[in-house]
Amino acid sequence: MQKNTNFRTIVFATLLGLVSSLSLFLVYVQTKPLSEANERAEELRNYLFVLDVPVSSNAGAEELLKIFDRFIRVKKVDSLTFYEYYPENGSSDSPVAVALPLSGPGLWGRIDGVLALEPDLKTIKGIRFYKQIETPGLGGEITTDWFQSQFVGKSILSSSGVPGFRIVKQGEVLDKNSVDGISGATMTSDRVEKFLVDLIKSVWNARSEYAR
Amino acid sequence: MHGNTAQQGQKTKFREIFMDGIYRINPITIQVLGICSALAVTVRVDNAAVMGGAVIFVSIFSNLIVSLLRKIIPLRIRMITEVAIIATFVIVFDQFLKAYYWEMSKQLGPYVALIITNCIVMGRAEAFAIQNPPLQSVFDGIANGVGYTIVLVLIALVREIIGSGSLTIFGIQILSLLELGYTKNLIFVLGPGAFFTTGFLMWVLNALNRNGEEEK
Repeated sequence: MQKNTNFRTIVFATLLGLVSSLSLFLVYVQTKPLSEANERAEELRNYLFVLDVPVSSNAGAEELLKIFDRFIRVKKVDSLTFYEYYPENGSSDSPVAVALPLSGPGLWGRIDGVLALEPDLKTIKGIRFYKQIETPGLGGEITTDWFQSQFVGKSILSSSGVPGFRIVKQGEVLDKNSVDGISGATMTSDRVEKFLVDLIKSVWNARSEYAR
Repeated sequence: MHGNTAQQGQKTKFREIFMDGIYRINPITIQVLGICSALAVTVRVDNAAVMGGAVIFVSIFSNLIVSLLRKIIPLRIRMITEVAIIATFVIVFDQFLKAYYWEMSKQLGPYVALIITNCIVMGRAEAFAIQNPPLQSVFDGIANGVGYTIVLVLIALVREIIGSGSLTIFGIQILSLLELGYTKNLIFVLGPGAFFTTGFLMWVLNALNRNGEEEK
């Protein structure tokens, strides 16, 4: 008995690990299609929200997909994907808003979001971050309404006409081209600023190509 | 332990287990375990209830499995075994929420996964299930889970009504003070409100529950 303890411990640990991982695997396979559909619905809901497409708040995945297919047209220019919103009663040759996927590295992991611009491609219509694993209460605040709503109506051009954007420390004077950062979450704010600026620059460079 | 020879003894035993978990040695108010989640998810009653449900689920099944395996778990790796069993059930529950209750899963965020490190579940496995038969262990899991849930819901009731000025449970509005001209007391939505409420509740329950150390 005494001699066998090491062996017994190893066998027990191995079996426990096997049984546990096997059952998690089975649960994962079972729930994967559903949780993926939920994630997709979350994404669609955020796109429709920034574009200001009317959607009922309890619309399911299928309904969202239907609305998305009906009103949103996808246009690819270079490496950018523009999601244009053509409302039913509007004219069919110019969109009323344009959304672009916005994502990049945050402090702890990838941040996914969406940036919506007015048809002039200069004014921000809205911004949403819907997938992130930043520190709850600090960097995680990027998903709050107060942070996201600051962007509405801001310009992607500085006062001298250079494309870019600034997320500044709280207390600094804001202009049409900057918003307040999150206190205690400088690392997240800086990284968000970086990938937002990257997107803004490439949109600005692609604007004549897009207009064609 | 108490006598468990006669059926009468069995019955008392189960009642003892139940009273202990829910009231006499309530995990939150008496043992002061699992405070992190109790402070974090009690802004709304429905969040607190689902969190409580998760802990009940996990503590029942982890207690059951630990108890069934109690004679073959090697003593040296006993705690890591308990953690592995608990973690498995927590991940199962988290996946289930992600698949069927997406909104709830979003609101509870990282706290469901943090049940793995919740001292209550681990504490019951280590203090009870590892040395008691399965049925009693399941009861102990239920009792402690329910004890945790009751306290969480009580805290959430106070915080939601005072902090948000309304009470909405699973989408059904039960109460709204805002129409009566009530001003939201935001401190109850934030961390300090959770501390005040929990501390007050502990004081009341400890004052009522006078068979603690002071009396002996």
